[in-house]
Amino acid sequence: MTTSGLKGVGAVIGVGESDYVADHARVRAGEKPHDSYGYAAIAFSRALKDAGISRDDIDGLIVGPTVAYERVGEILGINPTWGGQQDAMLAVIEACMAIKAGLATTVALVYGNDQRSAAVQYGGPEAMGGNLFLSYVYHAPWGFTSQGALYAMMFRRFSELTGCTERHLGEVAVAQRHAASLNPGALMRKPITLDDYMASPYICAPLHLFDYCLINDGGVALIVCEAEKAKRIAARTPVTIHGVGRYDLNCGATSLEPRLLDFYRPAQEACARQVFDMAGLGPQDMDAVQVYDSFSCHVPFALEGYGYCRSGDVGRFMAEEGISLAGKLPVNTGGGHLSHSYMQGWNHQVEAVRQVRGECGPRQVEGCRFVHYNSDVAGKAVSIIYGA
Amino acid sequence: MANSRAVISCYDEPMWASIRRRKWELQHCDDCSRVRYPPSPTCPHCLSMAATWKPLAGGGRIISWVVYHKQYFDDYPPPYNVVAVQLDEGPLVITNLVGDEPEGSWLDHRVEIVYAPDVRGEPLPRVRLAGR
Repeated sequence: MTTSGLKGVGAVIGVGESDYVADHARVRAGEKPHDSYGYAAIAFSRALKDAGISRDDIDGLIVGPTVAYERVGEILGINPTWGGQQDAMLAVIEACMAIKAGLATTVALVYGNDQRSAAVQYGGPEAMGGNLFLSYVYHAPWGFTSQGALYAMMFRRFSELTGCTERHLGEVAVAQRHAASLNPGALMRKPITLDDYMASPYICAPLHLFDYCLINDGGVALIVCEAEKAKRIAARTPVTIHGVGRYDLNCGATSLEPRLLDFYRPAQEACARQVFDMAGLGPQDMDAVQVYDSFSCHVPFALEGYGYCRSGDVGRFMAEEGISLAGKLPVNTGGGHLSHSYMQGWNHQVEAVRQVRGECGPRQVEGCRFVHYNSDVAGKAVSIIYGA
Repeated sequence: MANSRAVISCYDEPMWASIRRRKWELQHCDDCSRVRYPPSPTCPHCLSMAATWKPLAGGGRIISWVVYHKQYFDDYPPPYNVVAVQLDEGPLVITNLVGDEPEGSWLDHRVEIVYAPDVRGEPLPRVRLAGR
């Protein structure tokens, strides 16, 4: 189905982030700078300032999954006409839906996460997310937990079938570290080479240390505003949301069928049709791509799934055409979750907005008009296209 | 850290009882005959709630594998392998390969179910290369 849907309904007028680098240093020194709510509050204040609006202009509030909706509203002093809780990508979509429905005009999306200082575990007996995704914990009797291991299992089969090697995969970590080296807000800025990547230890083979995301504290906020109102009230040019897409693979999820047999491809293809049709654009129109990269292999899966290269050709594509800022298709231009900050997709939205605004300094993609964000967390494919 | 433990809903209980008898059983749908895993209240294909527990024939093939180099459980010191196996009955299961390991790629090697004691001494279904 082709639909104008949410095309051009909402625009991002403000973005804000906490100080990842300074806070990470304090956490590693044993301090607790803030909890999730404190990071969220910092990001929200910065997003308001960035937008040039006041708190009282906000009439919608959607919070991330790591904080309680009511408490965030209480701390920030917001009684909205629409509110809820979503992950990063669905928060953006829900904000547009609320705007389209006339339930709100100016929606704050607010996230904070003290996962590092709170020692959140993503594998083992207390693996985070097992209450939401049974596959994260169901195979524990065989020692199989941690989302990284699930992606290692997925990449191994993909590698065997397509010839996308570990060294090919290393292009992701190297490219994103290069981008991070040009991003003063990134946690990991020392450049690495493919040889460094290959020499790095395995965590769960075939994935290496550099294939895994960071774990750090922080907060992110965005202000999504009704598009016409955005032009009137925003301090700077709004960044329009041109299209969104979603397709969820739930069938067979716990036994990993959509992951191991299809590499989530059906979800990505359906999601691609929806987002590109809605935007009236295609992969060839995208100047940069942001991919939810809790693990590096999200990137090759997405590049094939969304049609940026031929099926089965992504290893060669990454190595020869390039996914760095100097390559044909810049991916995760701020360093992503691997090298910038692990804000569970939230910092990717901010990077997309800043690239379209043209305010990324040495890591700016020249003439950046459209940025495609996509994620495939546990087979739930979501896409958003940001543009001028 | 702690030892690994199973997530056991009321639909999993009969399966684990069968495993303790060293005869791994899964639900076969009475209406469309499909086999499902993990155990669940309905057949995801036809939504029938009528099912019969039947033992697995014991064969399958490896469709992927990993090797852990980081420890997540007391009873799983690294390095250790985990394999994804497609059972001859259809479902994918996650388990460990014991005994000889293939040279080169592990993909598509035939395996058969064996029962090895877990940390509590209870049988746990694992696989070994078929015919070894």
